[in-house]
Order: sequence, then structure tokens, then C-alpha cells
Amino acid sequence: MSKMMKSLMLYALSIIMLVTVAACSSNTPNDAANTTSTPKATNQNDPNQQNEQNDKKDEVEIRFTWWGDTTRNELYNAIVDRFEEEYPHIKVKREFGGWGDYWDRLTTQVAGGNAPDVVSMHQFYVSDYARRGALLDLSQVVDSGSLDLTNFPESAINSGRINDTLYMVPKGVTMPGWAYNTAVFDELGIDYPDMNWTWEDYAAKVTEIYEKSGGSLWGSVDGSGGQPQPNFRYFTRQHGQDLYTADGQIGFTEETLVKWWSMWDELRKKGAIPDAATGTEYENAPLEQNMFVTGLVAITQIPANQIYLYQQQFSEGEIRMVRMPTLAGGQNGEYIEGAYLSITEKSKHPEEAALFIDFFINSERSLELFKVEQGSPASTTMSEFVKPLLEPAQQRAVDFIQEVLPYATDAVYAPLGAAEIQQLFSDQASKIAFGQMSVEEAAKAFMTEAQAILQR
Amino acid sequence: MNKLKQAWRNNWVGYLFLSPWLIGVLTLSAIPMLASLYLSFTSYDMFTPPKFIGLDNYATMFQDAKWRDSLRVTSMYVFLGVPLQLIFALAIALFLNRGISGLKFYRAIYYVPSLFGGSVAIALLWRQLFGSKGLVNSFLTTLGFETKNWIASPDTALYTLIVLMIWQFGSPMVIFLAGLKQVPIELYEASKIDGASKWKQFSRVTLPLITPVVFFNLVMQIIGAFQAFTSAYIISGGSGGPLNSTLFYTLYLYQKGFTHFQMGYASAMAWFLLLFIACATAILFITSKKWVYYQE
Repeated sequence: MSKMMKSLMLYALSIIMLVTVAACSSNTPNDAANTTSTPKATNQNDPNQQNEQNDKKDEVEIRFTWWGDTTRNELYNAIVDRFEEEYPHIKVKREFGGWGDYWDRLTTQVAGGNAPDVVSMHQFYVSDYARRGALLDLSQVVDSGSLDLTNFPESAINSGRINDTLYMVPKGVTMPGWAYNTAVFDELGIDYPDMNWTWEDYAAKVTEIYEKSGGSLWGSVDGSGGQPQPNFRYFTRQHGQDLYTADGQIGFTEETLVKWWSMWDELRKKGAIPDAATGTEYENAPLEQNMFVTGLVAITQIPANQIYLYQQQFSEGEIRMVRMPTLAGGQNGEYIEGAYLSITEKSKHPEEAALFIDFFINSERSLELFKVEQGSPASTTMSEFVKPLLEPAQQRAVDFIQEVLPYATDAVYAPLGAAEIQQLFSDQASKIAFGQMSVEEAAKAFMTEAQAILQR
Repeated sequence: MNKLKQAWRNNWVGYLFLSPWLIGVLTLSAIPMLASLYLSFTSYDMFTPPKFIGLDNYATMFQDAKWRDSLRVTSMYVFLGVPLQLIFALAIALFLNRGISGLKFYRAIYYVPSLFGGSVAIALLWRQLFGSKGLVNSFLTTLGFETKNWIASPDTALYTLIVLMIWQFGSPMVIFLAGLKQVPIELYEASKIDGASKWKQFSRVTLPLITPVVFFNLVMQIIGAFQAFTSAYIISGGSGGPLNSTLFYTLYLYQKGFTHFQMGYASAMAWFLLLFIACATAILFITSKKWVYYQE
């Protein structure tokens, strides 16, 4: 036994040592790339003139990727099918995944040089890609006439520019705010929050909910940490600051950060918002299982386009939304948010990719399906077009976006290293929440470390 | 040269049959490993070409508090979890070795967790079990104990992962069983005649004779545990939280490479891990001379 055991062991060991590093350095997300082949949707009998023109062209294949849930996947597949009907010479391969996996996969694909042609983009991440030269300057395809932005307001187009270069165009424009269910407020006999409430009003409302419910309901989710946008970003902008400055430095003062975390810390100590452990447990919960839907909190922060998704979860009451709390005597924090489309720099078919984006954001055939899926259409003609098609909850979203949009001002894009700073922000906030650090210590450490990250 | 030619002529069929494996090792392991070794000396964001920066990545690593956290958490997981898992596996193996009927059935059943214990589905299940409204808590409530948010509290989160590791005791157990079967029955008879108690029999006969198997399991499990990833990734939602308490080394490496776009740093981390595991294994091998007994 002994000899055999020894040699067996050495053999097994040598294999394991060989594999160790390879395994470590290749921890790619193992989500099966949800690639569906495209159904052949060519409509040969259609005497459409466009089709006759297109039939003569060479067949081209482009790839389009997006994030979202099952409903959205069905919807976007249907839009892509319609595009293929309209342009029979272009085949569109589709790739999709949940929000987290989406970004991990996109990074890997871009790095590996096999990124899709048309990618869904977001403000949080665009600078990572744009500043590293992974995205195409869209003015090329706008000039060539493949992508028509004539019906887009200047502010919407500008929200897709980084350093004056157009890298993405909005599929939908949305605004964040705080949502509540009328039924919950009615039952407790509490007034609905005011559209233009302040942070003081907010704190008072949250405390009132907690007290009137006899402690069985938390006022709202804990907004101190997690992603610094939109909550903390609004707070800094209301102070005339921002997360970052235009030249890529930290854009807010330590004092603002201390104020922010102190506000949440007080609410937490009062019991008006969830304790750290509960908050952590629900941090990554899907919509159907989050604290608001399961009835643990009465108010939550969401983007307006999700109102109807939340409404679907409740049989009683109406999901309504108010502005992000404002700062008494401060400025407006609003800036345009949304979901965007970009073309990757290495795309072999930028013109066809542009035609696809054009169809997606400008055609009635696409928009009658899209409605307000990822926000209100940015094109003014199209947002008029979808209006009569909306469910009440979607209508409320559009109303909200239109009411809040005028407050929006320009916002700078994040510098390189923002992903790390975001992590740091979230880490420091949970250190406070778990009582491991005082607000002052955490803020001081944050400022030092964040500056070090940006200097690299 | 001629000799080489001769050797090739004699052996080429052998290499041909080896080639599927050889190609796999070269393209999937050896070449990526060399690439990562090079990348570990560069600053590489995966979009732009790598820039050579010498040992900077390694230097940064030792000043990175979060890196130290990840090393501490992983070491804790390995050096606490593995011994517990082995003790548990040995206990079950001893129990099954008493000649109970249906041994094959139990052996198969107990082996099952080892097969898919590292899967995403099990990690999700674990999340549910130890969640604030999970099975563990409802069990504790029934017994009248305090409930706790096991997954989301920094002082207990890592232990839920250790319990998950212990639960996957099947593969060391099967090896223990094989080892126990090799212990000569005469030794037990002789010790019985000498009046040894059950405990004495275990500590003086069984244990010394299965030390090679203990050693084998120890080394294998330690190497495996250092590379654990899935459980922490799923249970903490990819963050390694709360408060880095489940920030496994590989999870931090993944964050650095794929979320923070620092592939050079991540590669350096991978190579450090390789060296660290190699040292741990070497130390085990050196000490093994003192406590592993090979019947010659």
C-alpha cells in the first residue's frame, strides 16, 4: 500500500500543481453564453421596396447583446425579429444575461477581441470602455446617414458624449426616485411623501412609518452604501459638488461624506431602516424577492421605468414615485440616466450595426414593443408615439420622467478606477453599518484611499 | 541526434496517442500559465496592450489591506475547515467500516455531496438554509434558541462556508474507507488479546496505519480548499462580504481581474497563490517524515 500510495500521491500532486494557476487565472464567469440562433424571418413575398434593395446586398451578420430578465429577453428578441424582416440581408445574433453577468462577460469579450457589434451600455460603465478605446465614435455613422438622431433633444444626445465624443445613444431615458405603495401608507394612516420632499422630510417620514407600524415595518431601504449613484451622487450634486471632477479627481468633500453617512447612521440607530445584516442579506436579491416587494420596507429607491415591474408584484395599492429627496436651499441633483446602445470599435460592420440601432430607437415597429421598457424613448416623436400604448403604471413612469427631466443638468463621467472607488464606498459604508468604524474614521479612510486609487 | 531520431521512431505512436492530452495541457494550461506569468509583471487592463512594470504588482500586493484580508480569510477556511472535514470523514468511515449491511448504498449516498457540493445550485441552497428565514433558523426557533442572520453577519458568514466544505466529506471518506480495509485484522486480534480498549485500538493501531491516507487526504483537500471560489461567490453575491468575511483569495483575484480591470495584478495574485500552496505542501511533506508511517 505504502509505495503505491506515495507514487499515487506524487502523481496527483503534479497534476494539481499544473492546473492550479491555469484554473486561477481563467475564472471566467461560467454562465453559458445565452446565444440563440436567429430564426429565419425573411419575408420574400413582401413587395416592400426596401426589401428589393436589400436583397441584392451581401449577407451580413452582426451581434447584439443586452442585460435583463426573461420578459425583456422575449421583448428584445421580438424587436430583433422585426429588424430582420425589414433588412433580410442582416442577421442578428443575440446574447443576453442578467445585469451582473452581463458586464463580466462583456469585459471578457472586449478583451478577447470578440465583442458583439451592438452592445447595451450604461452610464456606470461607459467610461471604462470609452476611455480605453473600445467603443466607436458614433458621429461617423450619424454623418453617413445610417443613424438618424434628428428627433433627439440635444440634452439626450449629450448624455451619450464623453469628452465631446458621441459613444452611445439612449434606448430609453429614465430618472431615479423613491417608490412607495399607496396601500401600505393608507393602512398605516400616513400621508404620502411629497413630490418635492427634502432629506429632512425623508428622515421624518421613514421614522414615522417605523413608529406607526409598531416596529414591524422599516421605513425604507438603507441607501448609505452600495453603489454611490444615484443616492449619494444626488446628495453631492445638491451641495454643488459631484462624485468626480471633470479632470478625474474626487469631486466632493469629506464633510459632505460625513454628513451623508451620519444621516443614515442616525436612522439605523433609531431602527427606522434595516440593520446591517438584514440589509446585506437582501443586497443582491432579485426584484421579486427584495425588501420592498416582500413587505419589509415601505419605501425604496428605483429607476422610474421599473414602476410597472413593481406594480405587477402587488395586487393592492398603486406604486407611485416621488423625486429623490432634495436639499433644503441646495441645488438640483438630477442628471439624465438611461440605457444606451453603443457600437464596438472593432465591429466589422459598423454601418449595419448603426442601421440596427436606428431601427431600434426610431421605428414604430420597434417602439410599439419597447414602449418604456428601459425608460421613456429619447426621440420626441417616438415618446409621443408610445404614449397611447401604455399601461397605467407605465404612464406614471413617463409622467414622472417628464416632470423631473427639466431639473437635469450635465454630469461628468467617471474616471478610470471608478469601479474600485465604488467598491471602496460600499465597503466603508458597511463598516459603519456593522459598527466597525465611526462615520468620521470611515470617511477619512475613504478620502485617503480613493485619492490613492485615482493617482495610480 | 541519431539517438533522438531513433527514440522518436520507436515512440512516435505513443506520442500520437498522448497528443489529445498533450495539446490540452499545452494550449489550456501551459501556455496560459506562461502568459499569466508574463502579465504578472505588467500593468494590463485587458483593453490596451500590457505595460511592463517589473515587480510593482507584487510590491503593491503586500501593501494591499484587502489582499491581506483575503489571504487571512482563505487561510482560516483552509486550516480550520480541512481538519474538521477530515475528522468528520474519518468518523463516518470508521462507522461504515464496522461491517454494517448496505455499506455500498451508504457509501454512494455519502459520496453524493462531493460530486456537486461545489456547484452553483448547492451554494444557492446554502444561502436559503442559513438565511434569516432559512431552515436552520426555523429549526433553532423550534428548539427555543436565538436566531441569527448567519450568511449576512460578518462573524458567522465564513463558518457557513466551512460547514458547506465539511458537508462535502464524501471523497476523503471513500479514501479513508479504502485505507481502513488495508489495516491487517491480526493486529486488532493481537491488541484485543493484550486487553486494549476500543480507543486504544484506534489510537495505537488504526490511526498509525492509516497515516499515509490521512496525509494524502490532507494534502489534496488543502490544495483544493485554497482554490475554493463558487461557494463564496454565490453566497456573498460576488462581493466577498459582509465586511470581507467571505472574501476568498480567488474571489478577490476575480474582482481585481474582471471588475477592476487589473489583469496584471490578478495574475501576480495567482502566482503568489501558486507559491503559497507550494510552500504549504512542501511543509506538509517535510513534516510528514515525522508522523506518516509507511509499512514497508
